[in-house]
Amino acid sequence: MRGFSVLLQKEFREAWRGWKFLWIPLVFALLGMNDPLTNYYMMDILKAVGNVPEGFEMLIPELMPVDLLQASIGQFQTIGLLIMMATFVGSISKERASGMATLFYIRPISFSAYFLSKFIVMSTVSFISILAGFTASVYYTSILYGTLDIGSLLASFFTYYIWLLFVIAVALMMSASFKTVIATTCAFTLIFLGQIVDMIVGIFWTVSPWKLASYGTLLIRGTMDMSDYWWSLSTTAICTIICISIGIVMMKRNASMVKI
Amino acid sequence: MTTLLQVTGLTKQFAEHRVVDDVSFLLEEKTSTALIGPNGAGKTTTLSMLTGLLKPTLGSVKMRAGDLRANIGFLPQYPQFHPWLSAVEFTEMAARLNGVAAKQAKMEAQKTLEFVGLGNAEHKKIATFSGGMKQRLGIAQAIVHKPKLLLLDEPVSALDPVGRREVLDLLKGLQQETTILYSTHILNDAEEMTDQLLFLQNGRLVEQGTLREVRQRFDEQNYVIEFDTEEEAKLFASSSDRVKGCYVFVALINEEPTMKELLQRLSECPYTIRKVERQTASLEEIFMKVAKKA
Repeated sequence: MRGFSVLLQKEFREAWRGWKFLWIPLVFALLGMNDPLTNYYMMDILKAVGNVPEGFEMLIPELMPVDLLQASIGQFQTIGLLIMMATFVGSISKERASGMATLFYIRPISFSAYFLSKFIVMSTVSFISILAGFTASVYYTSILYGTLDIGSLLASFFTYYIWLLFVIAVALMMSASFKTVIATTCAFTLIFLGQIVDMIVGIFWTVSPWKLASYGTLLIRGTMDMSDYWWSLSTTAICTIICISIGIVMMKRNASMVKI
Repeated sequence: MTTLLQVTGLTKQFAEHRVVDDVSFLLEEKTSTALIGPNGAGKTTTLSMLTGLLKPTLGSVKMRAGDLRANIGFLPQYPQFHPWLSAVEFTEMAARLNGVAAKQAKMEAQKTLEFVGLGNAEHKKIATFSGGMKQRLGIAQAIVHKPKLLLLDEPVSALDPVGRREVLDLLKGLQQETTILYSTHILNDAEEMTDQLLFLQNGRLVEQGTLREVRQRFDEQNYVIEFDTEEEAKLFASSSDRVKGCYVFVALINEEPTMKELLQRLSECPYTIRKVERQTASLEEIFMKVAKKA
């Protein structure tokens, strides 16, 4: 792990000076407060817009606090992931294509150190991001609807975080393996198509990384089959480690792709 | 003199095309070597293989002092930096990645930036740097850890005359301490600071040796004789000589005619001879000859 601390500092500087520690959490906070607010003020919004016909009656379901958290996670899963992956997926491939990596690759550094320093900084950015997102969502939910049990909330938070680590590992692995365009396509396909497939035919299995996001809310509802949960969690962790390992190998192998 | 680097049979093949073909040479310690060749001759590919970035198809690169990667500094033709770093941050990082201790790295970085003439820009972001400043920073990152071998890919080609002069002087200053291998297609630069020449063409090493050796090999022993008037020059010249203005060029190819015969002609000459001079071929002329021969 030669050069790890230096590379870690470099990645932190890059994320910090590129405002990634500010704007990505901000996006997640906005996404998080969106659902509790719009749901609660739905009638007012409709009235304000003003084209509700006379005598229009609408049945708004009685929402539980956990429903709103689930809705927020749904937002993270689409727009949130999209932004996060688009930001991270070029991390290795763009450095290679621009030639910025050349002055690093010629030095006696370890590729594991380089890869992991990127992974750690991205994990930190995403940790702060979903912390902001969950906080915003839970804050407005607790004001407008009612409180959530803090223990299961934390469990759900960390479950979602494990899923995000998997997403980051996939994005970085693709970035190490291919050029930016192909890496983006592959990473998006794997994560989003995986979600769709899991949604459509996922009733046939209960253990998969793509189910982890929804398992988080099931923990709060208390309807989670714990053995499925643990299996999914450990499968995800193992997949993450595999992606990281492949990523490091590919990063080293593709070092000669660097523009000189 | 001790050998620092031994390159044997270096070959790189991309699909059907051999970009570098069986290149072998030695680099002696504390000498400068110029890798000369036209565009596309394989200079950059050769350097990339020496840095370890590119794996050779065949052949080997051996460094006497042990690990190659830890002992080289490399300046690419167009060095790219992370624009959001400052010059001193980048140079310090470069030093630390090469194993210089944290405390020392900052000092070395500042000293090196001072040396390359970026002393007053060390805290500026690289994004604001001009081409010449980037080239200097490129040199700084290559020498900050005091490598045994310095590899430079076209170090001055992209610079204006003033910048070229300054960078060349910088490199001359380094000659005493390190072994330098640099590629160039600007022959005047090579003529200025070089102990050894390597001519590369179509991936092959077509000529090598010191500037003097190569010169001797390609010198056709031209003598230039200057007269007062053009008429005199024309009258003096024999059928095999070349006349240009007041100058007569006599070529002594393979002792034909011999030096003695030439001197005899000169002594019998009725006109005033202003000057007789042995013509030394410039590197450019040699280059053209080498290129034609290959």
